[in-house]
Amino acid sequence: MAAPVAPLPSRAPSVPSSVPALEVDGISKSYAAVRALADVSFSVPAGTIVGLLGPNGAGKSTTMKAVLGLVRPDRGRIRLFGDDVLADPTRAKQQIGYVPESPALYEFLTGAEYLDFVADMYGLDGSAREARIQQFLTGFELAGHEGSLISGYSQGMKQKVALIAALVHRPRLLVLDEPLNGLDPRSARVTKDLLRNLATRDGVAVLFSTHVLEIAQAICDDVVILSHGAVLASGTVESLRARAGLAGSGLEDVFLSLTGTGDLGDVVQALAR
Amino acid sequence: MNFHRVRRLAAVLVASQLRSGRSTSDPTSFLGSPALLATLDVGLFAIAAGVALLAVRSAGLPAGTWAQLLGPLLPFLPLVGLSVVLVAGTMFELTTTARFSGSDAAHWLPLDPTEYAAASAAAIAYTYSPAVALVVGGLLPVALVAGQTLPYLVAVGLSVVALLEGGLLIEVVRAVGQRAGTVAAARGGRFTLIVRAALLIVVILAVQLAFNPVVLLAFVHDLGSVLIVTAIVPFLWSTQSIFDLLRGDPWLALAFAAGQVALLAVLADFAGWTRAKYWVAASAEVQVGSVRFASGHPWFTAAGLSGPEAAVAAKDLKGFVRRRELMPTLVVPIVFVLLIFLEGGALGPLGVVLWLGWIVGFFGLILATTSVGQERRALQLLLATPISARSLLRAKVAAILVPVGVGSVAVGAAVGIYFGFDPLRCLALVGVSAVAGIELTLWGLVFAARYSDFQERPRPQFLRPSGMLAATGTGTVLLFAFLVPAAFAIAATGASAVAAGCAAAGVAVAVGAVSFHWSRTGFDTLFRELPF
Repeated sequence: MAAPVAPLPSRAPSVPSSVPALEVDGISKSYAAVRALADVSFSVPAGTIVGLLGPNGAGKSTTMKAVLGLVRPDRGRIRLFGDDVLADPTRAKQQIGYVPESPALYEFLTGAEYLDFVADMYGLDGSAREARIQQFLTGFELAGHEGSLISGYSQGMKQKVALIAALVHRPRLLVLDEPLNGLDPRSARVTKDLLRNLATRDGVAVLFSTHVLEIAQAICDDVVILSHGAVLASGTVESLRARAGLAGSGLEDVFLSLTGTGDLGDVVQALAR
Repeated sequence: MNFHRVRRLAAVLVASQLRSGRSTSDPTSFLGSPALLATLDVGLFAIAAGVALLAVRSAGLPAGTWAQLLGPLLPFLPLVGLSVVLVAGTMFELTTTARFSGSDAAHWLPLDPTEYAAASAAAIAYTYSPAVALVVGGLLPVALVAGQTLPYLVAVGLSVVALLEGGLLIEVVRAVGQRAGTVAAARGGRFTLIVRAALLIVVILAVQLAFNPVVLLAFVHDLGSVLIVTAIVPFLWSTQSIFDLLRGDPWLALAFAAGQVALLAVLADFAGWTRAKYWVAASAEVQVGSVRFASGHPWFTAAGLSGPEAAVAAKDLKGFVRRRELMPTLVVPIVFVLLIFLEGGALGPLGVVLWLGWIVGFFGLILATTSVGQERRALQLLLATPISARSLLRAKVAAILVPVGVGSVAVGAAVGIYFGFDPLRCLALVGVSAVAGIELTLWGLVFAARYSDFQERPRPQFLRPSGMLAATGTGTVLLFAFLVPAAFAIAATGASAVAAGCAAAGVAVAVGAVSFHWSRTGFDTLFRELPF
């Protein structure tokens, strides 16, 4: 299905191509006695989509917040195009588009007012912003609803607004925590195709978390599997299949095998009684 | 009606409010249990009874004197319960966020509307019962000494009825308000949003004034009219019943008490009917107006704010008008301003300056202390945008100073003219109230940066109780350190006025500088790590 969102203009890279867009280097984070992250390392090269997978509570959202500078790691460093994120968080945020796991928008604003607000925050030019926002509103079938208060939106509509807000300023890195939550099939397809388009055509780096492993298998170049705050495995889907000894299997079987939750037969039997 | 279901749901509704702010502590602890309120009831009752007992003993008055003192007060005991629920209920229950009032977890359960209304009313009554327990405890020793045990017990029983009636009235108003909101949503437009906010403010304001202690005390003193009014107004039949009992007419007392209980049953049925007829489970989509995208907010950028700062300030201003949960912060100062016009004549110029400065100062303090917490979970997305701590602080200051500035000029001028101040003193009154507002705005931001509460809950508090206590306590001291010399400077003449003015200016500058510095360090800390 062709997405009605036009491709973005290509951008000239300002850093050597050998430098990854995002480099997470040995970050650890604890909350009191709870270890949220333990020596997590991975990188996201420009133009690639990296899936961050893991069971609930594995540390995916904490990792993403750390990339944004919203969580300060106890140890380790995070570099965005070679620069330490914490050295100048404001500059780093200018280059990132973010969708949190449960986007809390300002529900007393209309969709248009919210997107206008976001555009102001990123300093988007007044004349260019309208065309760009309208383009996204049409692409995500929100046109006609943009003048309504967000409090009246469905969960899917709010998710679409959050996605547009993350994309509107043409970020170089997208950090998307369960971005397809609540989206209808058409919008989910638009989003997936758009992400692939942004990565391959414009060199945008995408860090993407999802629990729907078919989606990760379909669009991710690499995956990083977190468990109990640590990286359990990383690489291409093929390399993880080989590591799990499950050649020819889907990512779901590989994931369940690697995270030690593969044998679910007894659980299902017990629940079905 | 299944009373077991009603009781279970009421307990859940009470627990949801008690626990919603305690994400890090054990939700099953005593502090998160409805038993906490029962303990508070018993504790406050015992403390009040103990203090009153000591007072009664030390006074050493004869029983007849106590009976004369109690006679005019006891009939109004049920009215205390009703007014507490209505005043607090209109302030906090009608202003719950659209998200919570539009969809709650109970809608899918097999409950009939009357059961839900009864459970919600019981939860509201139970939540505010400690205030009544305090008064009931305080009157017990007096009633015992005065030999009025039976009227006292009847008054206590009817107070419980009154609490429940107040809860049911809140439910009725809430359901009708939902209908009004839906009608407004269908009409749409920015004007509708403003009208909706104005209507809510008028409803809250009317209840706040009607059940204000000042007005109620005037009512108590006007006993001649009370006896007529209490017989006619059904909500005052409890009062009439106790009057009749005290006058030795038990049958008439019983009739009015029975009427009051019957009214409770009728109200429960009516609340169920209004809920069934008017309640909507989901928030309606409100079309605000024509869509236009435009960068910049000229007023704020002209005042020196950057684009992102102006955007945040403009967003906050929209929130003041559109967010139901922020309405109490606008209503409370209006009530106090109206009380100046009602009762301020006896204060004199010095008192008027102090009162007005206190109102405007606390308006700034409340807006400031809630300004960060009202971002709630959206703070995560705000902090993910390229705005610095200093910029966010500037934006918050600007957004608060608009209503504080407008309020101090409008109210200062109106009060000055009303009380016959000359133009120079009128100007000074406006200036003093504006400085008080600025001073406490900066002071409030010190606490907003450190004590904000970002929990999503039906009745948001925006600032943790410890922060609110510290902010109001220290804020009061700082405010009066400025206001007392400032008021003296306005009231006095000659060299002493100049000296007092200089002292007030010195305090204002010092407090402003310290507040601004601590606000900056607080916002820097806020930006170091997301606080939830």
